Amino acid sequence: MTDGLKKPDEMEAEVQRKSLILSDPLKATLVNFGKVLLTLLVALLMGALVMELSGKDSLGAYQALFRSSLGSRTALANTLLASTPLIFTSLAAAIGFRAGVFNVGSEGSLYLGGFAAAWVGFTFTELPALLVIPLAFLVAGLVGGIWCYVPGVLRARLAVDELVTTILLNYVAILFTEYLVNGPFLLPGVANAMTEEISLAARLPRLAPPSQLNASFIIAILAGLIMVFIMTRTRLGYELRATGDNPVFTRWAGISVPAVIEKVMFIGGLLGGLAGAGQVLGVHYRFVAGFSSGLAFSGMTIALLVRNSPFGAILASLLFGVLRSGSATMEIFSDVPRDLITVLEATIIFFAAMEISIKFFRRRRHER
Amino acid sequence: MTYVDMQEISKAFPGVLANDAIHFSVEKGTIHALLGENGAGKSTLMRILYGIYRPDEGRIFLDGKEVEIVDPQTAINLGIGMVHQEFQLVPSLTVAENIALGHEPSRYIWIDRKKMKVRIQELVDRFGFSINLDQPVVELSVGAQQYVEIIKLLYRQARILILDEPTAVLTPQEIERLFSILQQLRDEGRTIIFITHKLREVKQICSRATILRKGKVAGTVEVAETTERELASLMVGRQILDIEYERSRNIGDVKLRLEHVRANDDRGVPALKGIDFEVRGGEIVGLAGVQGNGQSELVDVIGGMRDAEGEIYLGSKDISQLALRGRRNDGLAIIPEKRKEQGLNLATDISENVIATRYFKPPFSANLAVRPEQAERFAASLMDRYAIKAEGARSLVSTLSGGNQQKVITARELADEPDVLIAAHPTRGLDVAAARFVREELIKRRDEGGAVLLVSADLDELFALSDRLLVMYDGEIVGQSRPEDTTYEEVGLLMAGHTHD
Amino acid sequence: MSVETVSSVLFASLRVTTPLLLAALAGLISQRVNLLNIALDGLMLFGAFAAVVFGALFGNTWLGLLLAMLLSTLITLLFAVVVIEFKANLIVAGLAVNILATGLTSYLLVVLFDARGAYSPEGLESLPRIALPGIDSIPVVGEILSGHGVLVYVSWLMVLVVAFMLYRTPLGIHMRSVGEHLEASETAGIPVKRVQYIALLLGGALAGLAGAQLSVGNLTLFTDNMINGRGFIALAAVFFGAARPGLTAIGCFIFGMFEILQFRLQTATSIPAQLPQMLPYLIVVVVLTGINLQKRRRKVVKAE
Repeated sequence: MTDGLKKPDEMEAEVQRKSLILSDPLKATLVNFGKVLLTLLVALLMGALVMELSGKDSLGAYQALFRSSLGSRTALANTLLASTPLIFTSLAAAIGFRAGVFNVGSEGSLYLGGFAAAWVGFTFTELPALLVIPLAFLVAGLVGGIWCYVPGVLRARLAVDELVTTILLNYVAILFTEYLVNGPFLLPGVANAMTEEISLAARLPRLAPPSQLNASFIIAILAGLIMVFIMTRTRLGYELRATGDNPVFTRWAGISVPAVIEKVMFIGGLLGGLAGAGQVLGVHYRFVAGFSSGLAFSGMTIALLVRNSPFGAILASLLFGVLRSGSATMEIFSDVPRDLITVLEATIIFFAAMEISIKFFRRRRHER
Repeated sequence: MTYVDMQEISKAFPGVLANDAIHFSVEKGTIHALLGENGAGKSTLMRILYGIYRPDEGRIFLDGKEVEIVDPQTAINLGIGMVHQEFQLVPSLTVAENIALGHEPSRYIWIDRKKMKVRIQELVDRFGFSINLDQPVVELSVGAQQYVEIIKLLYRQARILILDEPTAVLTPQEIERLFSILQQLRDEGRTIIFITHKLREVKQICSRATILRKGKVAGTVEVAETTERELASLMVGRQILDIEYERSRNIGDVKLRLEHVRANDDRGVPALKGIDFEVRGGEIVGLAGVQGNGQSELVDVIGGMRDAEGEIYLGSKDISQLALRGRRNDGLAIIPEKRKEQGLNLATDISENVIATRYFKPPFSANLAVRPEQAERFAASLMDRYAIKAEGARSLVSTLSGGNQQKVITARELADEPDVLIAAHPTRGLDVAAARFVREELIKRRDEGGAVLLVSADLDELFALSDRLLVMYDGEIVGQSRPEDTTYEEVGLLMAGHTHD
Repeated sequence: MSVETVSSVLFASLRVTTPLLLAALAGLISQRVNLLNIALDGLMLFGAFAAVVFGALFGNTWLGLLLAMLLSTLITLLFAVVVIEFKANLIVAGLAVNILATGLTSYLLVVLFDARGAYSPEGLESLPRIALPGIDSIPVVGEILSGHGVLVYVSWLMVLVVAFMLYRTPLGIHMRSVGEHLEASETAGIPVKRVQYIALLLGGALAGLAGAQLSVGNLTLFTDNMINGRGFIALAAVFFGAARPGLTAIGCFIFGMFEILQFRLQTATSIPAQLPQMLPYLIVVVVLTGINLQKRRRKVVKAE
């Protein structure tokens, strides 16, 4: 089912892709980048189609979108802001996919980690920034990590399908934090469910006012670079790549596949927790119910698009940040609901999924 | 009278010419052998006849009329049936459902079970074999399953039956039963094509034989007028030199010992029922047995990949509770049975494959990091020492030939000079040169003092290499002997479950 | 805990089981041809959406139902083509359908009805309820079994239909064959792709029906996140039942019962709403874990 063992067709395509990478890295990077752009273009066309069919002005909508995401210094800052949580969730998805694990649980980790960070922020009000911020991130990361670690253990030791469990547990996490914010931690006297504010010391510095872009962006980039290092140059990286390529072989080589799966799920959850912490400490300064809008699924889309490369995930997150940050303005000025972005994402996934096989499809015709 | 006539058949796959202008014809009502080594092109040729492949060139005639076989359906409609090496049976379906698969007699929209079973029962009764038609096929023995496959062909009124290595998974007694069925079918006028690489069987029931070698026809002979040696030399293209390997001169201490080992297979059925044996340094112990009697599970258990009761000792150390990594650290190495699935990561290159068992040790690893340059250097030196033909250490392993792939695995496992080497079917599917290379490496390891357990289905190989021979049947060691003190027949009987008086 | 409470819980459980059961049957059929259908959630959402929208558009709930099945079947066709012809990864394509469903339904809800989050059309009738003649007069049992919406009975009927199809018709045999041994099916001349398409499309129709039951089966209301993971709960039921219709149906009923129990807990006690709501999801995770634990236990070597 959701085994790490790829189907032979996918392996063929991987072989082709890797041969290219090894033989001519520059050409390979250009080709991959080109593919990403092409997919985005197709998605934009699809989106335009949907808009036109529903009587909206697609050109105007896209203009509004790109202007408010790229058109000024503040716009660019907002784009980076929107891309911050995506970097975390796409890395979480990428490291999971690369090891053959479908970890969709970063949404839950995001909520739990965000709440944990908020709790640290409004509880330890005496601590200075240099202590409370790392503490908040640490706690958020741990909470998020453990949240995904549990389904990871179930998958690793009992072969319980992690896709289903992480999705179900996402609902649990969202409900639980909803309970917390509506119950014991509710700030009295406000319409929306939210907690009290975190201390001033716990707030991440803004990088480019009036945008809400904050230091969590830097942390996200750092996390990305660390992921690159892990995947390419560490023992865990070797283990998780081998597990994703061929878990049977990995086992016969003496590597504990269950341990790898558990670690990978933990890291995925940790990144989700950090994403939540970044949103809370950098943008909202408190925990607000429903502050995530499908960030985990978007992260997955990105990971699939860039074929699990952490470096590619950072870049693609920026592109998706463009779409997200522009969508609010697009909605206001062109009357196009921002859910269109979700439609674009779905189109991207469809095409990314087919792209692997189009090449193989052509080869198949010559066979026989 | 020529019934099947394949003329000038050629078929190429990327990198290999599997069939090269082959002329293959079979007389009606005979059992005709298609003989050759692994990779000679036998399966390809028959798959063309059965419609799985289309030939690049050539024509096929049945009973004098030219035919074009575009898919297996066409072949079946023409009366051609094939029993593959891997049975084409759907596990949860019953015997009857499997036999009628694709041709179910139906009443309105549901299956007319009575009609289905009546016809099948007729066929089944003909050969005096009793089978419960309503039993799910997964519950049958291998021999019974093969029988179901044959009935399937008869149900579809096959006049031409192709059997691909049918005896590979049978006990000698089941083989006798199969042969009597085939002879009965032949006497009814059906034409049988028998793909094999076992000379003894060719002599036993086939009247003519076509020998393929490297994609070409090496000869077509009357079996009665040809000796086994002559058949063999046609197969390999030269006089067979029985390569004699010397027995070990220096057998040392016990390096591997199993005591009262019990284990279940994947279905929860006992597969190992109390295994006791030992392997000493400086000896090769060969393990003979028909596939499916516990050999795979035994290798799993030694590698720590299957729960088991009993004790396993590496030297004097009890490793029964130790994970595979620990066992490898203590001197165990395994050449696994399934090269591509268990032995290699096909998605990556040679250097990443050879460090799979040592990436966490220096010089490949420092602190957390793994150093690719060291891996490449190591891979290059192995490629040199073992003559692995590839462009470089960064060549993708999937582009290598089977023989070279096996060399990568062998190199990786032998590089640390392991105390104990388990070699599971290490020469399966390899050409003669590659097989010889692997065997010489096993001998070398033995002569350097290592203990080698060789699991193999090839009696020639076992008799040639083993200092001591064990026979496994139904999860137990049923016999032990030096090769020179026993015969193929004795071993065969033990493999089939006969015990000595 | 009176007899009335028990029978009312069982009655409500049957109602709530219906969308799970229909979706689970869809998942079951897909599973039998070895194509794991992750898109159930999204297909149900499309079905729920279409039933309300088309029902309101044509003023006829039955037409809405029909079009709901049609829409989700069409989306399934897209899914099927991408997976079967283009050999795309099954999981990825399924998730794409789910994401597409969330985005497109929310988008269209705003564009068509200027409604964000929820939409309940005026005057649209929900599907009719049926009183079973004869049974409805039996005490207790009658209260539990009679008076359900029409799709409730249909869903249990479908269990029999699916079982019959799988075990007694050539199509069903072919499906099981394709799912268990692809090569054997090919050499037997079974049109594999056609069988896979049929399996997926049948599943699509059932999933659409499941969604429609949610939106027009009881009330007439569509909300953005009304499926709420039920597609995955249905999938878990398929795992529970090992893709066997009867066992899967039992799994669905168990999960449905927990959905009702948590709701009763909310109203009967002062526990904040969200905590009982977590229950069904947690139960499913526990059940899945339990199943695999049991499987493992059977494999352990027993001392003799």
